[in-house]
Amino acid sequence: MTWILWRQYRAQAAIAGALLAALATLLVITGVQAASQWHSALAACAASHTCGNLSNTLFLGSHTVGFLVIMTLGVPVVVGMLLGAPLLAHEFEAGTSQFAWTQSITRRRWLAAKAGWLLLAAAAMGGVVSGLVTWWSGPNNALQANAFNPGRFDIMGIAPVGYAVFAAALGITAGALLRRTLPAIGLTLAGFVALRVVIFSWLRAHFMTPVTSYFPLSRGFTPAGSAWQLAAGYVGANGQPISIPQSTNGAVMGNAGGAGIPISSLPAPCQSAAGNGPLTRATYDAVVSCAQAHGIRGYVTYQPAGRYWAFQGIEAGIFVLLAAALIAVTFAVITRRDA
Amino acid sequence: MTAAIDTPAIQTRGLTKRYRRVTALSDCSVTIPEGRICALVGPNGAGKTTLLRILSGLARATGGAASILGGAPRQDPAFLAEIGFLAQEIPLYRRFTAEDHIGFGAHLNPRWDGASVRSRLGELGIPVDRPVGKLSGGQRAQVALALTLAKRPRVLLLDEPVAALDPLARRQFLGTLTAAVADSGGELTVMLSSHLVGDLERVCDHLVLLAASRVQLCGDTDDLLATHKILVGARKDTSALGRAHTIVHAERTERQDTLLVRLSGPVIDPGYEVADVSLEELVLGYMGAGGPPAYAHLTAIGEDR
Amino acid sequence: MTWLVWRQYRLQAAAAAVLLAGFAAVMVVSGLQMASQWHAMLGTCTTGGGHSSCEGAPLGSTIGHDFEVLSVMVPAVLGIFFGAPLVAHELESGTSQYAWTQTITRTRWLTVKAGWLLLAAAVWGGAVAALVTWWSGPRNALYGNQFQPNYFDVQGIVPVGYAVFATALGIAAGTLLRRTLPAIAVVIGVFIGVRLFISDVVRQHYIPAVTSHMSFLSTPGTLARSWDLASGITGPNGQPLPQSSSVNSFNGVPLASLPHACQVLIGQASRQAMVAGDRCLDAAGYRVYDVYQPANRYWAFQGIETGVFVALAAVLLAITYAVVRRRDA
Repeated sequence: MTWILWRQYRAQAAIAGALLAALATLLVITGVQAASQWHSALAACAASHTCGNLSNTLFLGSHTVGFLVIMTLGVPVVVGMLLGAPLLAHEFEAGTSQFAWTQSITRRRWLAAKAGWLLLAAAAMGGVVSGLVTWWSGPNNALQANAFNPGRFDIMGIAPVGYAVFAAALGITAGALLRRTLPAIGLTLAGFVALRVVIFSWLRAHFMTPVTSYFPLSRGFTPAGSAWQLAAGYVGANGQPISIPQSTNGAVMGNAGGAGIPISSLPAPCQSAAGNGPLTRATYDAVVSCAQAHGIRGYVTYQPAGRYWAFQGIEAGIFVLLAAALIAVTFAVITRRDA
Repeated sequence: MTAAIDTPAIQTRGLTKRYRRVTALSDCSVTIPEGRICALVGPNGAGKTTLLRILSGLARATGGAASILGGAPRQDPAFLAEIGFLAQEIPLYRRFTAEDHIGFGAHLNPRWDGASVRSRLGELGIPVDRPVGKLSGGQRAQVALALTLAKRPRVLLLDEPVAALDPLARRQFLGTLTAAVADSGGELTVMLSSHLVGDLERVCDHLVLLAASRVQLCGDTDDLLATHKILVGARKDTSALGRAHTIVHAERTERQDTLLVRLSGPVIDPGYEVADVSLEELVLGYMGAGGPPAYAHLTAIGEDR
Repeated sequence: MTWLVWRQYRLQAAAAAVLLAGFAAVMVVSGLQMASQWHAMLGTCTTGGGHSSCEGAPLGSTIGHDFEVLSVMVPAVLGIFFGAPLVAHELESGTSQYAWTQTITRTRWLTVKAGWLLLAAAVWGGAVAALVTWWSGPRNALYGNQFQPNYFDVQGIVPVGYAVFATALGIAAGTLLRRTLPAIAVVIGVFIGVRLFISDVVRQHYIPAVTSHMSFLSTPGTLARSWDLASGITGPNGQPLPQSSSVNSFNGVPLASLPHACQVLIGQASRQAMVAGDRCLDAAGYRVYDVYQPANRYWAFQGIETGVFVALAAVLLAITYAVVRRRDA
């Protein structure tokens, strides 16, 4: 059975291998370049004590390669569409399932071999691409500390392996249910995108209860390392968030990632401390200490950097569990239905 | 498009079709007059499907010429309206019903008789509102034939239409075909390929035999049967006989020769018993030799080289 | 023939309509939310465009933004489902032998089928683009970034050009390869390659860019709604200084290549030091330069890019016609 699968899918395997090799070549060459750029920039900024500003002045790599890296987001769904969906659907459409299922092999074994090898291949492809991208992004991750942010989280680590396995399983199941390749491809695309959007936009932030840290206005606070910043703002003495109207004229700058708090939202004494006209250094400090005296603090809600791998594990785990459920459905459908 | 009174319905001259390494048709010349039901026979892989596809314009020859009712196969509604083609795998849209296909045909053909499809299928008890993919093979073939006839073609090209049918279905199919030809008053010409010669014997009045990509025989079946005989006699040297006539196929045992001979005149040698040949024996005789080079010099009956 | 195309694609059209309706629902809800946020801002921000004090204010919902980003895939998806199977599926399943022996020439068959599906692709691509453009209204007003890459690609009329091109690509690939699945793979690969090449390499050259020089002392003018291609510093001789993004740099130029006195001032983070640094550079004869495409060329660029993709589509269609006419069924 394995030999049959190899003969059947030789061409696809060759093409996938060639594409992976091309990607690897491109990423290795540019990645080595970026790494050496990074190391020399580190050395240079250490000498002039300007390393704190580095993330604003240094750009590693090229826009085009960077864009290609972002596009590896699409690898799992393409695997699901082009390899998963036709796996069973094509056999139904061509009628070759009637041939396969009257050889001396049970349907379960046939499906186990086909689906098993494809899921393995999908995991391998997702893993290779993710490994390359993770390695390539090393300098950028260190520079921008954004590995946990949505978008970057999805293309590195083990999450892409989970996505690829899920997409392949979704394609296989769609093919088993719909029995026609083109509709199966459509269902795979729609289903994968829908699930990813739901988890990406809503669920991931809540895998673990986010941490909220409060800080005085005079100091500011940035979560350490590659934390995932979810929200930031200000709270009053009662602990309630101060809602910030959408204008930010004459802000008192707290270091809470974004707009500062408008003077008009402060208690009356602090407003009069600001006086009229633009803020000088002296009036700025006066307003800040007045606000602090009234119990106004800043807050940042975030997922700490240390949870990165836990989140990767949870995300990959969700997708792998869903894949398993889909495969179970496929087994039930295949063993019961007419050819 | 009206053909002149003696324009053959189907004619090819030196038709050749070569794929990259394989020659499917080699220098084929046939003439089929109007109004005939012509059997296109030959072993699998002889080129029958290729010939039919070239005649219908689906494939393009690499050499030689073909014509239907005097005109070459071409992308022209006038030509397309004259032909009907039915491929071996009955390539209808499996999701759509027969009724859907009647609708398609009405939109795609100026000459269209949808009612005939419904009445034919009604007579045969085939439902018109079930997806075609869910009909049995025989029913699907009948639907396809009815659709092809509804187009009112003047030349009908059928590729192994009865291959997948049981004997009863085959009977019905060929019956429908003969009735359609009869109804047309000599205007409809049919060429159908098959490797089941026995069925065709009753239905066809013209024969083309393809073997090894070449035309081995082409002519009215009556003529062919009249000019071929089986000679049975004691085992002896047949070179004289072979010079006077043409020995198509010889089976020699230790004591007896059984020869399929194409006569060029009366048989003089009294040592032979002369018997009529059936169409099947004729075809097998030409095919059984394996279409070898020995018969490559044979000209088709009725053709001048 | 039109009726046959409709029967063949009824289900697909319905699915596409449902998806479009869903997309529209999300974008309309999210867009209305954004618009009301924006109107609330309008009275109070100073919209100098690009340097508005409203910058960074939350605008819009995550889901709307996700859908806006995803809408860049729509042309490729249209190419996959409308284009790739058009000819390939008929060749694969053998139904071309039925279709091409009816009383309709292959040319007319292809014209009607491809014509309707290209129209459908243009309509769907246009509908998505219209929704995204409307949705982006507040953001465009606030940030003026619709001329930037990635934003340019999903608004205006270029998505219509992309959709037509992707569909024509699918039709041509399906005709040449005769099988739907390889045609889909070709659509994905070639479409991405062509889009990347044109948007990264070709687009900026449609019309020669404008270069403007400014003094360090002048208030930064607004390049809002323009497409900033490059910027840097010219030295006292008027020549641009070599850029390097790999070392500590200022406006793209390595700090080390600036006069030492100015370097010291720039390196400090306080506002006064920055102002003094500007004065220092200006005194030394250094200027800022910008290479950009002005905002008023936005629609010209939209039109040119759409034209490029439509022209490519026409070439692909011509190839398709030639192959369909000549090929064996």
